[in-house]
Amino acid sequence: MLEIKSVSKSFGELHVLKDVNLNVAKGEVVCIIGPSGSGKSTLLRCMNFISPPDSGEIVFDKVSWRSYRSKFNVLANLRYEKKLPQLRAEIGMVFQHFNVFPHMTTLENVSLGLQKVRKIKKDEAKQVATKSLEQVGLSDKLQVYPDQLSGGQKQRVAIARALALNPKVMLFDEVTSALDPELVSGILDEIRRLVREGMTMIIVTHEMKFAFQVAHRIVFMDQGKIVQVGTPAEIRNTQEPRAKAFLSSILE
Amino acid sequence: MDNSVPLFDFAAVWSSRALLLEGFGIAMFCATAAIILAMIIGLFIALMRLSNSRILRAFAFVYTQLFRGVPLYVLVIWVYFGLAIVANINLPKIPAGIITLALLNSGYLSETFRSGILAVSVGQSEAGAAIGLTKRQIKRFIVLPQAFRIVLAPSGNQFVDAIKDTAILSIIGVPELMRMAQQQADLFYRPFEFYTTAGILYFIAVMGVTKLFTFIEKRMSRIGFTNSSQKLTNVGEYI
Ligand SMILES: Nc1ncnc2c1ncn2[C@@H]1O[C@H](COP(=O)(O)OP(=O)(O)OP(=O)(O)O)[C@@H](O)[C@H]1O
Ligand SMILES: [Mg+2]
Repeated sequence: MLEIKSVSKSFGELHVLKDVNLNVAKGEVVCIIGPSGSGKSTLLRCMNFISPPDSGEIVFDKVSWRSYRSKFNVLANLRYEKKLPQLRAEIGMVFQHFNVFPHMTTLENVSLGLQKVRKIKKDEAKQVATKSLEQVGLSDKLQVYPDQLSGGQKQRVAIARALALNPKVMLFDEVTSALDPELVSGILDEIRRLVREGMTMIIVTHEMKFAFQVAHRIVFMDQGKIVQVGTPAEIRNTQEPRAKAFLSSILE
Repeated sequence: MDNSVPLFDFAAVWSSRALLLEGFGIAMFCATAAIILAMIIGLFIALMRLSNSRILRAFAFVYTQLFRGVPLYVLVIWVYFGLAIVANINLPKIPAGIITLALLNSGYLSETFRSGILAVSVGQSEAGAAIGLTKRQIKRFIVLPQAFRIVLAPSGNQFVDAIKDTAILSIIGVPELMRMAQQQADLFYRPFEFYTTAGILYFIAVMGVTKLFTFIEKRMSRIGFTNSSQKLTNVGEYI
C-alpha cells in the first residue's frame, strides 16, 4: 500500500535520512521508535511530501511520487504542486502540536477539507464532520473555538479532521507528547479504536508500552537509518546492539 | 500689546466652520481611500515578497524600500508635478493626494502584512497541506484569516498616521483641513486659533479611528480567537 524506496534527505550538511526503505501493507500498524533526532518525524513527513525527500520515491497505491522542482519550468512546478494535494488527501496526518485552526470552530476545522478538498456541499460536509466528531467524543463541542478546548480535545479535533476525509493511511507523529499525562490514554484509546477498525497506520511514538501492544511491526531508527524492523516480540528480544541499548534505556 | 484686541478669539474660527469642516471631510476621505488602496496593494506586495519567484521578490523589495524611504513631502511632489512633467499625466489634486498616501502606506503595510503572514506558524500551513489543500487554499482559508487578525492593530496605527499625513497634501493645494486652516488663519490673522482648532479635529478623528479598531478587535476575540492585542494587554498587566 505504501512503499518508501531509498528515501534520503539532508538539511544542509546534516544527513537526516540515509537511503531509507520500508513497505507498509494494507491494514498494517507500524510503529517507529528511536532516539531523539534519529529522523522519525522527517521520515513521516516525507511520506506525504510535507517535507519533500531529496531523493527516492514514495509508492502509494501503486502510484509513484517523487520530489520535483524545475529551476526554469514554472508551469511544470505549478502542475506538480496541483497534483501533490491528491496524494495528501489520501493520507491523514496528526501532529504533536495538534495544529488545529484557531480561527475556526471545531465543526469548521473538520468540514474545511470536506468542502475544499472533497468538494462536498456545505450541508452534507457538516453532517459528515459532525459524525466524525461524534466518533471522537466531541459532539457537544461542535461550535466551540479551539482556545476553549483542552489539549486532548484539540488532538481529537485534529484526529477527526484527518479521519473525516476517509484516508487510506494515517500518520501519527508523537501525538501524545504535548499532552498532560492524564490526557494521554484517551488519545491512545482513539488510536486503538482505529487499530480495531483495520486502519493502516504509521505511528511515531515514545509510548513504548503502547507501541508494543498495537504494532504489527516495529521499526527502530537511529541516525537517519532504519536499523531494525520486526514484530514486537522480535524487537523486544533484539540482539542488535543499538536497539538493545535504546530499549533498555527506556524500558527500565 | 494693545488691550483692545482679545488674546484668544475663536469667533473667526466659528464663522469659518463650514470651510474647516469641509477640509476635515476631504482629509478623512483622502486618508480612508488611501488606506484602503494601500491595504490592497500592500497585501499583493507582501505576497510577492513571500513568493518563490526571485523577480517578484526583488520587485516587491524595491517597491517597499522606495516608498518607505522617500519623504512624503517629496513623494507628493513627484506624483503631482513629476508625473505631469515626465509622463504628461495631469492628475487632479485630490486623486494625486490619495495616490501619494496610498503608495507611502502600502510600503509600510506590506511589511506589516509580511510579518503578519510569517507570524502564522508553519504548523498551520502544514496541517492545511496534510488534509490536501492546495497552496492557494492554504493561503486563503488558513494563513490570511489568521494574519488579518494579527495585522489589525498595526493597520489601525497606519490609518492614524495617514490621517495626520493628509496635512502635507496642502503643499499641492488639496483643500484639506490644514490648507483651509492656513488660508483662514492668514485671512483673519488668527493662526493660533485656527491651527489649534485643526489640531483638535485631527485629534478627534484619531480617537475615533482608534476606538473603531479596538472595537473590531474586541469583536474578533469574542468569536474565540485570542489575538495579538489581547496578548499585549496581558503583557501590560505584568508591567
Ligand atoms: N526543518 C529542519 N531544518 C533543519 N534541521 C532539521 C529540520 N527538521 C529536522 N531537522 C533535524 O533533523 C534531525 C532529525 O529530526 P527529526 O525531527 O526527524 O527527529 P525525530 O527522530 O523525530 O526526533 P524527536 O524524537 O526528537 O522528535 C534533527 O537533528 C533535527 O534537528
Ligand atoms: Mg519527531
